[in-house]
Amino acid sequence: MSVWNPENVTDVAESIGIASLNREVVEHLSRDVEYRISEVLTEALKFMRHAKRTTLTTQDVSQALRLLDVEPLYGYDSTRPLRFGEASIGPGQPLFYVEDEEVDFEKLINAPLPKVPREISFTAHWLAVEGVQPSIPQNPISTQSNAELATRGPGANSTLAALSGNDNQGVKPPVKHVLSKELQLYFDRVAPAIMDETNEDYRTAAFASLKTDTGIHQLVPYFVQFVANKVTHNLKSTFILLQSMQLVAALLENPSLYMAPYVPSIVPSVLTCLIGKNLGSPSDMADDVHFALRDFSASLLSSIARRYGPTSSTLKPRIARSCLSNLLDSNKPVGTHYGAVLGLTFIAGAAGVRSLLVPNLKAYDAHLQRILFDNSTGLRRPEAEFVVRALMRALEVLEQDAVAGMQNGHPEGQALRERLVEAIGEVMGAAVFESGRQGLANAVLEKDLAV
Amino acid sequence: MAQPLPPSRTGSVGPPSAGGMGAPPASTPGGQGPNSQQNLNQIVLEYLNKKGYNRTEAMLRKESHNLDPNGQPIITRVGDSGGKKWSPAFKLVKHWIENGLDIYKPELVRLEWPLFVHAFLTCVSDCYYDEAQNFFKEFRGEFEEERSQELQVLAKIHVPEHVQTNELASVYRREKYAVALSPMAWAMLVEFLEARDRDGGDVIFATLTEHIRVVTFNRATTARGLQKLMEEKESENKRGVMWGGEGIPSHKPGSANTDPNASSALNKLSLAPMPMEADLMEDVRADLSHDDSMHPPAPGQSTLVDQFEKTIKQEPQDDAAPSRDAIPFPPSTARDVAMEVQKVRENRDRFKIEGRTGGVGPGVSVTMFTFHNTFDSVNCIEFSGDNALVAIGTAESYIRVWSLDNRALTSPQDPPGFQASSSRRLIGHSGPVYGISFSPSAALPEPATNGHTTSAGASETQPRYMLSCSADSTIRLWSLDTWTNLVVYRSHNSPVWDVRFCPHGHYFVSSSADRTARLWSTPQIAPLRLFVGHDADVETIAWHPNGAYVFTGSGVGDKTVRVWSVTRGEQVRIFTGHTGNITAIACAPNGHVVASADDKGEIMLWDLRTGEKTKTLKGHGRGGIWSLDWSVESSVLVSGGADKTVRVWDVQPNKEMQAKANGENGTSAKTDGATTGGGGAVSKTGKAKGPVVSPDQISCFQTKKSPVYKVRFTQMNLVMAGGAYLELA
Repeated sequence: MSVWNPENVTDVAESIGIASLNREVVEHLSRDVEYRISEVLTEALKFMRHAKRTTLTTQDVSQALRLLDVEPLYGYDSTRPLRFGEASIGPGQPLFYVEDEEVDFEKLINAPLPKVPREISFTAHWLAVEGVQPSIPQNPISTQSNAELATRGPGANSTLAALSGNDNQGVKPPVKHVLSKELQLYFDRVAPAIMDETNEDYRTAAFASLKTDTGIHQLVPYFVQFVANKVTHNLKSTFILLQSMQLVAALLENPSLYMAPYVPSIVPSVLTCLIGKNLGSPSDMADDVHFALRDFSASLLSSIARRYGPTSSTLKPRIARSCLSNLLDSNKPVGTHYGAVLGLTFIAGAAGVRSLLVPNLKAYDAHLQRILFDNSTGLRRPEAEFVVRALMRALEVLEQDAVAGMQNGHPEGQALRERLVEAIGEVMGAAVFESGRQGLANAVLEKDLAV
Repeated sequence: MAQPLPPSRTGSVGPPSAGGMGAPPASTPGGQGPNSQQNLNQIVLEYLNKKGYNRTEAMLRKESHNLDPNGQPIITRVGDSGGKKWSPAFKLVKHWIENGLDIYKPELVRLEWPLFVHAFLTCVSDCYYDEAQNFFKEFRGEFEEERSQELQVLAKIHVPEHVQTNELASVYRREKYAVALSPMAWAMLVEFLEARDRDGGDVIFATLTEHIRVVTFNRATTARGLQKLMEEKESENKRGVMWGGEGIPSHKPGSANTDPNASSALNKLSLAPMPMEADLMEDVRADLSHDDSMHPPAPGQSTLVDQFEKTIKQEPQDDAAPSRDAIPFPPSTARDVAMEVQKVRENRDRFKIEGRTGGVGPGVSVTMFTFHNTFDSVNCIEFSGDNALVAIGTAESYIRVWSLDNRALTSPQDPPGFQASSSRRLIGHSGPVYGISFSPSAALPEPATNGHTTSAGASETQPRYMLSCSADSTIRLWSLDTWTNLVVYRSHNSPVWDVRFCPHGHYFVSSSADRTARLWSTPQIAPLRLFVGHDADVETIAWHPNGAYVFTGSGVGDKTVRVWSVTRGEQVRIFTGHTGNITAIACAPNGHVVASADDKGEIMLWDLRTGEKTKTLKGHGRGGIWSLDWSVESSVLVSGGADKTVRVWDVQPNKEMQAKANGENGTSAKTDGATTGGGGAVSKTGKAKGPVVSPDQISCFQTKKSPVYKVRFTQMNLVMAGGAYLELA
């Protein structure tokens, strides 16, 4: 009848030596056990509620037992969930028990101490400003489910709801972004002019205007969008890509434009032009035209990082990270590697080269050797030379940064070569050695000493 | 319904069948067998016939009809069928209520719950175990929505001992449950029960008289007319409308007087602010005029002195103020003067929240403080009145205090060279800490002197003490100057759920699982008053802003909000109506309205003067509204809860509702009806999605996975909210 199985009562009675128990008594007892258990649970729920939790813990139960003047059960803690094992004592008669692992005392003592949990800390953010929930990462993204939170009624403020994105009536923003006729015309003229391959004068005039015009701030988002569009759809044309980059450069150069809010949308396009997989048509590939594009993008990126890096703490690390991951991906073509090396050099500077590039050179060496000396891919050799040159340039940055004449008695000749090879791999080691510049070699090796 | 029931174990009437029905006839010794019984009848009949006692014979024949062939009595009365009688009897009255007149339905429906409880409890007490369980299972669904927590408690009751020991059951058995009926409905009910006497009417009637107190009063004369009742019923639910005085502590609506014969007039409360000491007032005025001369007010601003005079003159016409003699306080100090001056300045300079203006709710700003890496061990969060400190009470028995502005928390007891950090750990309790309260304080503005930086250190109006309460049934007083424990208050004998400092300091109240709330003063280690009366845990507690009254809210089994007079130590108001555990209470700064919230997601507003419920605010999800607070102008209520939202509510009484209640001209009522009809349609479509949100909600702000433990309006009307981020779930 009751949820509590009367057989359990019989079992317990047998275990303490009461062999035969009247059926009535057993039933009565099992009803009583059930009542006591739920009594404990009711009390435990109270403790859960006052701890403002939604999960019941073993701690709550032992508190409840204490409150009810029952000796608490020892040996259960809340840090890990109890695991229940199941054993069968007959067909359709499962028996559940708490799994109790045997712990080797020796092992327990010698086990390393668990990690110290992180300190409790707090952060503050605006949940609402004058009735509007700002869309910042700390607040949940307003989704469809929010719609039902909005209310209609005498007290409801529909404007507030709309501003919070909580209105489900599909209200359009009351203020439209209005572009004047002149600006529209300006955009319609300038955009094609820049992409005009045939008329050089047009292009220069357009860029000149973009660089100096003071009244085109409203158009910036359109140009940014334009660039993003062109770059994604014209990966085969180095000309268009180059022009797009020029356009970005022109906008950045304009002193009257405030570009900081658009940087996050510009960077992906520039990065594409820097480390894209296949830039330009196959004929361009042969001409190495795309290296020029990569060079330009790299310098553009470095100027962006210089100007906006200080205001956005994540900008530089993000770019550096994507460059590095592309460099270490040996499936990517040489062009990508070239761009990645350039990007790293420009973005991260000497410190970055030392900490990010040099430690990885040895690993990269294997890949470089394969491209350089594998005859079956003879055609890629000159391309690889570009990478070597770029890496050399990166290492030169190190040289400039290093304090001259730090040590005496540096190794010479073959010893130096061996150490270089050991530090930065066969190809680059040889290249540095052959350059014959002691300062460069020292700068490269300095890292070893520093470490 | 009237068909005879098969005989079974009968309770009050009829002997238990010792021989059993399966016993073979004529085998029982002593001539008690059915056959011999029939033979005996036959013999008697023959004898009567022979003697010519015709009438006696007829009577015997008639009466022996009620025996079945086996000689067992045929039960025609439901009331005689033992444990089985409850189900048909309850069904009978339920059916009648549901098919009865619509105007009485909302009243009569309220009878079902107490009848159900008592039917079940009586059934268990009479040892009809299986019948009781069947009865419970059959009808519990009816009450699941409103009474789920009580049902959980009742479900576990199996044997008579449980009825006696269980708190909820014994409360129901001991006290009478009050239900209000209009005289007509009551008369109809009695008439019906008497007519259907044999079908279980007498069973119900007995229960009614024994355990339920039916209060008859004429609704037509009250503001809550029947018409209104029906409208509310349609918009709310089919469970009818709870009358203000319904429930176990049977009392007049709002009133704390449990004497049924008491007049329904409520005694007056002193709701005006506590008057200021004369000396203090002089000092404050002098300080303010000095301030005015130093910083002349900006154009359009009133001087601080004027502002001060205005606040003092605000003496309400009909509210008495509590006297300072009745509630003595220590003499005021320079610190009190500084705090009062700051209050006046804030009164002038703050961002005013005027309530609904032009049909649009005000926009409120909320700063959220989210605690990380807590592993759900934070039990409570509390901000200090000067907005400089935040404290958390943890399940690991310690309290941790941070300064919100990253200022180092120094102590004169620090060893030299000690690098004080911006947080302190207070260790002393031996059980989870459930409540924290800072002593009153005020935020002093930075002195705007050029170039001069304020000396690193605390301002003179910072909070100096903090109280905490814990499952170890103690309350501790901590010094915030030395960060040490000063006093341990022991008197409660169960976990202490909540503790609150008086708005003027010096006194504090605590509430506990021992069903009492206690009033203390900080210098004394024994309580000054015991507030006894709740039938369940006192879950939460709040002060009236003038310090003369205390509000307590309790859990399942009671679910009332009670108002206690500090001076006399007795209850002055009882508010009934919550359907869940009361989790938070807050009184408006103007002293007239108190808001209480429960863990079913409802907030109710009560008018202290009339003792009536003015509003029910719905919208929060289940799981508890942990905190409530009012804007300084008492125009807006803000709440935060386990559903990870902070909500802002309009508390002004609905004009439409008022218009309806006043029974204005028909046209306006008609238009109102139309609009409510529209609203009903909207809520109907919304119902499919989630909980109904009442139209009084101004806005709702969701957090990311952080249940909101505390919301607080600063003196400048900025909302501070605190919560713990939960990675899981």
